[in-house]
Amino acid sequence: MDPITLILIIALIAIGGLAVGIGVHFVPVGGAPAAMAQATGIGTGTTMLAASSGFLGLISAGLVTAEIVSGKISYPGFAEAVANGTIFTMDKITDPTILQAIAIIVVAGIVGAMLMMVILCVMPNILYIFGLGVPLASAKVKKDPITGDVQYTYVTKGTEGHGTPTVAVISSLIGGLLGGAGGALIYLALLGGQLSIATAAFGAVGIFFVNSVLASYNITGTIEGFHDPKFKRWPRAFIACLVASFVLGIWAAGIVFLGA
Amino acid sequence: MEELAVSLGTLALMGACATIAGAAEDLESDFGSQSNANSQVQLAPQVGYLHRVYNKAICGEPVAYGLLSATGAAVAFALATAFAVNIVIALALGAAVAALMYGVYATTAYMGRLTGQKRFGQPIYIDVLLTTTPPIIAHAFIATMGIATFSYLLNVIIGQPFPFPILALLWGIMTGGMGSAVGDVHYGAERQYQYKPFGMGLPAAQSGKIVQKGEVGLRNSIDIAGFCVKHGGPLTGLGLGLTVFVDLWRHIIFIEFVNGWGAMIAGLLVIVVWVIGNRFLEVWARKAYGPFKKEEAT
Repeated sequence: MDPITLILIIALIAIGGLAVGIGVHFVPVGGAPAAMAQATGIGTGTTMLAASSGFLGLISAGLVTAEIVSGKISYPGFAEAVANGTIFTMDKITDPTILQAIAIIVVAGIVGAMLMMVILCVMPNILYIFGLGVPLASAKVKKDPITGDVQYTYVTKGTEGHGTPTVAVISSLIGGLLGGAGGALIYLALLGGQLSIATAAFGAVGIFFVNSVLASYNITGTIEGFHDPKFKRWPRAFIACLVASFVLGIWAAGIVFLGA
Repeated sequence: MEELAVSLGTLALMGACATIAGAAEDLESDFGSQSNANSQVQLAPQVGYLHRVYNKAICGEPVAYGLLSATGAAVAFALATAFAVNIVIALALGAAVAALMYGVYATTAYMGRLTGQKRFGQPIYIDVLLTTTPPIIAHAFIATMGIATFSYLLNVIIGQPFPFPILALLWGIMTGGMGSAVGDVHYGAERQYQYKPFGMGLPAAQSGKIVQKGEVGLRNSIDIAGFCVKHGGPLTGLGLGLTVFVDLWRHIIFIEFVNGWGAMIAGLLVIVVWVIGNRFLEVWARKAYGPFKKEEAT
């Protein structure tokens, strides 16, 4: 096995895991208080929210990879490189066609994750507005940094905001972008190491969960997005996720090395 | 052209399956009080509000549905490959096995969670257990059948390469995520606290003080699902159906343009449309409902 391949697998898993970990901090998570219209964000847990969006990204990335391998969209050389495990060698990785194929797979992951995220933000907003009769408001900032709308006058008594206002939706999209890209990179790294599609998918799910759980510990409950004061905690998650993903990357590279 | 027609037809069926599965998932979680804010049902006896609500939330909806869907799909996969059972029958049998397993999970979770509340005087009602567990199993069956079916179609006809039990696991987690994000708000904020005026969030001081009386007699979980079926359930189904449909629709239609990049651009445009729609909704709600207090002079 080419040492460059092993190094690239470790690097891609570390970068992918890191992207997932940081991406989770952008997702507006309200947990149980949000489900009672007591806090801003989406009414589910951090890990599962990030995972839900990342998995649609993973499914989209897997589908686009299959389309390239089957030849439906044409990136010559990619299918052979994946099949014989040479995709992460120096001459392949500098080949523009292979790089374009990798780019489209990562973008497919991003688009899938962002799409899931926007639906997860907007559908509850419809429920908040028509089912509960509350406007969308955040109590963490006085004005929405993107639209400039005053927030605190729309927060109902005794609550810390409700729904997902525009700034939180945009923040969630950045989270989807990072999560989707991370998931797709990890999947590609494992697939490039000649693991089967099922193993690569499962490995990507596992590494995704490790990083999103680590980030959840850092967030402790709820966060509204990049405008939330809690967002300043991200450097701790940066270190933790980088170390964890690096270790997982070494394990993955070890499995690839032993299997080759 | 024929391939495209088959793909789009399959996609329509998948969207329908997802819509039904999403709605059933949300209602099942309302029956079992697994919806957020399930902590309130657990908290209620501690603040003196004894209740007859079924309470089985020992884990979040996404994890529970990942387990449920993966079990159903794996049993179906095993039956179809090892015993050559027709896939439709295999999916039905797989979903039945998973739903029954889920019944065991629900029963033990209900007993376990409520025995822990003996010190607050919360009784375990055997009639609640006997009348609410069957609807939980029934809804779990519908949800599993839906998720496993569209995962199978995604794998076999659309050509997503992950084995379909893995797809069912992923979609199960995503279904739980959708139900937890969308439908739970109707359950947690509206149904459990129906005495609060329409148009406000729940003040933090009111936590745990859930409604105990129903339209007739004491409120039970079947009353709760009967209310959530009007808004929370359908909206969850719509959300999941749209997720499945829109993501694959843009892929199937536009993947052949610009060597695959057409699907990505279409996806980004769809996202922009959603964000703009959300903004219109936000502005409308602000005008219609607020503001609730005067702006401070700055």
